[in-house]
Amino acid sequence: MRLVVGVSDMKVSNQPQNKIVTYSLGSCIGLAVYDPAVNAGGILHYMLPESSLDTIKAQINPYMFADTGIPALFEVMAQYSAEAQDMKVVVAGGAQVLNQRNIFNIGKRNQMALHKILDKNHVKVDFEDVGGNVNRTVTLDLKTGDVIIKVSGGEEKII
Amino acid sequence: MSTINELIQKIDELKPISRVTSQIITLAEDSKSSMSDFANVIQYDSATTANLLRTCNSAAMGLPRKVESVRDAITLMGLEQVVDLVLIKNSTDNLKTEQPGYGLDEGALWRQSVASAMLSKELCQKHEVANQHLVFTAALLKDIGKVVLSRFVADEFKKINELVENDGLSFREAEKQIIGVDHAELGAMVAKKWNFSSKMISIIKNHHLTDESQKNDLETAIVYAADTICMMMGIGGGADGLAYHFFNEVFSLLEISEKDLQIIMASFAQNLEKVENLFTAV
Repeated sequence: MRLVVGVSDMKVSNQPQNKIVTYSLGSCIGLAVYDPAVNAGGILHYMLPESSLDTIKAQINPYMFADTGIPALFEVMAQYSAEAQDMKVVVAGGAQVLNQRNIFNIGKRNQMALHKILDKNHVKVDFEDVGGNVNRTVTLDLKTGDVIIKVSGGEEKII
Repeated sequence: MSTINELIQKIDELKPISRVTSQIITLAEDSKSSMSDFANVIQYDSATTANLLRTCNSAAMGLPRKVESVRDAITLMGLEQVVDLVLIKNSTDNLKTEQPGYGLDEGALWRQSVASAMLSKELCQKHEVANQHLVFTAALLKDIGKVVLSRFVADEFKKINELVENDGLSFREAEKQIIGVDHAELGAMVAKKWNFSSKMISIIKNHHLTDESQKNDLETAIVYAADTICMMMGIGGGADGLAYHFFNEVFSLLEISEKDLQIIMASFAQNLEKVENLFTAV
């Protein structure tokens, strides 16, 4: 079954027949994790770096922000007995509009927020395809554990 | 046949807009039009009325009860929303199909168009723009040129993309350089053929600010900003990606700070479900 992760959304599964997919990441970030030991994985598609922007929205939907969504992803993975040090961690998205000056570059801010949180928790990123001006789609195939990053109009990368 | 002649022929192949849609858009273009002007046109056209009722009564709309008449729809949703629905229903047939040149699956261009029209409307309200229906319609139809150009972009995609990747051109600039015409320019040609007002034609032509002086025009700036924000959010994102120029000044004109931009994105995310429901309903 195809589990579609929308904008500000997250899906986790340990069913090998499932593929988790998130379409069209612009400046948003898709964080895909997979633990082969328990065959569980998930994708988070967050839109903004910090929940302090709107704490009420963050309570209603923690997947909107990096600092509430990323811990939520690892918490749910832990419920599947997945361990952070065993996980494949793949990051995609964080694109920017041409000549977007730093202050409006939300893609970059999303990426920085992610590294701050993962570094603090000693989680290593295995593959990162971030930035540029492209749309990306990320798929996690729970049968193989492969993460597939497809740039719209470009080639696929299988990690 | 030359590319330009082929493109003109492709414009003729678009599904034409009906006479009543044209009347509704003419009302939308005129800030002096009253709400009852719209109501009159809608309720005296049986096809528009039937479509509106079908849309309203679709389960995806989630209305609390059955809508039996135009008057009923207006009571339930407000005339403003009824007009928006009619504009969407009557003018977006061409946008629903897949556009392979732009890597857009069926419905993707439609979703992007409706989302940026909705966001444009929100920005209009903030800035108390007199003619919100005009801006809404322009945002809705700004990418009609992509429907015409898609096949040509598909043929030349590699060359276009090389210019974007290697020379830092925007996707629109690269289209212009390789094909000789870009989707915004073509959109304006369609708008002209459909007898839209010069203001509407200008907004469509400049929705990527081809003529940079247009960034000081409030209505054009709003459509540009809404399009850019939808692009960042990845709504209906395609092979052209985010490869369009960013103009800080537009966001200054619209008094949108970096924090405001994030607030707009967080708040607009709620509307994505509404866009999805509308797609099912219309």
